[in-house]
Amino acid sequence: MAAPFAFGEALVLGLASGPACVASCGPVLVPSLLAERSGLRVNSRYLSAFLATRLLGYLLFAAVAWEVGALVALPSSTRSLIFAVVHVLLAVVLLRYAWSVGRVCDHVCTSTELVTIGGAGKHRIPGAAVLGFHTGVSLCPPFVAAGVRAAELANVLAAVLFFAVFFVGTSVWFVPFAGLGWVRRNEAVTTVARMAMALIALYYLYAGLATLIRKSTYGY
Amino acid sequence: MATKVLPAREPRSVGRSLLLTLPIALWSALMFAPIFRGASRPDRIAEAATGIFMVVLFFMMMRTWSTYRWRRWFFVAMGLLFPVGFIHTVMVMRGTMGIPIEEMIAGRTPFCFLPIPLLILPAALTKTLVFPGSILPNGGMSGGGMAAMAALWLGITIVVGKGWCSYACFFGGIEEGMASIPAKAKVRKIDPRWRYGPWAVLLAMVLLSLALFEPAYCMWLCPFKAVSEYVAARSTVGMIQNGIFIVLFAGLVIALPLLTKKRTQCAFFCPFGAFQSLFNKTSVFDVKIDKTRCTPCVLCQKSCPTMALTDESIAKGETLMSCMKCGACVDACPKDAAVWHIRGTEVAVKPERARLMFLYAAWAMAVMFGGRIIAGGLATILHLFV
Repeated sequence: MAAPFAFGEALVLGLASGPACVASCGPVLVPSLLAERSGLRVNSRYLSAFLATRLLGYLLFAAVAWEVGALVALPSSTRSLIFAVVHVLLAVVLLRYAWSVGRVCDHVCTSTELVTIGGAGKHRIPGAAVLGFHTGVSLCPPFVAAGVRAAELANVLAAVLFFAVFFVGTSVWFVPFAGLGWVRRNEAVTTVARMAMALIALYYLYAGLATLIRKSTYGY
Repeated sequence: MATKVLPAREPRSVGRSLLLTLPIALWSALMFAPIFRGASRPDRIAEAATGIFMVVLFFMMMRTWSTYRWRRWFFVAMGLLFPVGFIHTVMVMRGTMGIPIEEMIAGRTPFCFLPIPLLILPAALTKTLVFPGSILPNGGMSGGGMAAMAALWLGITIVVGKGWCSYACFFGGIEEGMASIPAKAKVRKIDPRWRYGPWAVLLAMVLLSLALFEPAYCMWLCPFKAVSEYVAARSTVGMIQNGIFIVLFAGLVIALPLLTKKRTQCAFFCPFGAFQSLFNKTSVFDVKIDKTRCTPCVLCQKSCPTMALTDESIAKGETLMSCMKCGACVDACPKDAAVWHIRGTEVAVKPERARLMFLYAAWAMAVMFGGRIIAGGLATILHLFV
């Protein structure tokens, strides 16, 4: 049933869900932020790239899911399959990112460029962007809650707009993470961040593979 | 500037050593004697033996001026006997080392100190303890409850800082025992960046615990589940978890200490140890290097079981914050440059007094806490024969 779009409702839902979003994204966000160079500017750039592509992930999924009518009707097994694939991809990106940090100059470097991943030359993209996109399509509980509400809206534009405002509400909670830029970076901090990323990546890899194997073996 | 010269290493007189041991002897009598009332014969023997054991070790610390090798006897005994007593208790109560899910739901999971750092953020943000235990005693294996362990941990930690890892951790003795078996290390070159491992595990586990709302380290990475208890392996996930625990135990607690003669689990993995390192900043006791005496021969660096001394830290006259206050470096130093120290005092001025003050605190705690564990394990064994 279509319902009038409520700007306030989307914002409040986002603000209320923000802590859960931060908790879900924390394992990806915190170590990767710490792996960047110190400085409020660099970390703010990282956060901006992360949130921008997270929004892109939100909107892309919202548009596609609304179009195919799946936002409400999405079965849990399909949802867990999407989760699993995203987790595996996230794990691969995290590992690649942790590897890329090792080749970046350390705290003596004054460049404000973000750590990039990918092939050589112009094919390299900031790791923050890739990680943000993956967290954006990870279908965390707040995302699903917003999706159920957005599915009731009249058209895809309204659904996308709802998600965008919801996103703004959740993003307020991410702003303080820019403060990690004040943490002094040295070999210890960077190494800890890389190791933590690798550990977290292993967990996501396990979680994703276990779901995929279970689905292919047992069908659920 | 340090001026006091330490006395030569002749053993301290028996009389003076006994006098210095007296407070610990009285404390041991207080800790173990009341148990004699109504206890069975094996329990009485175990209690008496443990009390004597702890007093004799302290006497030897006083007589020989050294700390590490006598402390190590206690620590290894605790590490070996804790699983004996604990596993016996779980087998009697449940018939299995696996924790049934029903016990977890009922909040009767025994609480050890390892998940303490993982509980802080979820508790602060959501007022929820993400551990399937009870704050107060709840029957079964819940023991004294989470509050009792947390209070014990806090009290001990405020005084001795990361000395907890040398005097209270009932798991560390296993790898310390393994590390002392070989005469020489087969692997001597260790990349110093592995020292950051515990901090990485701490960061990852804290974030995952908040995201998943479970004690992630206990669920996935604790090597000591292999010698205590674990989630019952009723599913593929359970079997994977238990497989990880066994592999980590075999590698970090058995194999690597044998190869490196280091406490590898503590130095390169334990997230609780990293958390405890923060409390080294609050503890009044630490270990310093007297730069006027240091040559540097780096024997202290080689003897440290957790690589808490580097060339840079020795040049600064201090240990890293990961120092466990085990005393290995102090005992190894041929120039008496590595010394016990009390914050706010001059380095190497009356270091023996600093050592005594630290040892009275640490050993009193060891008698109370570790002594009970040793006595319990010993009683379990004696019940089989007596």
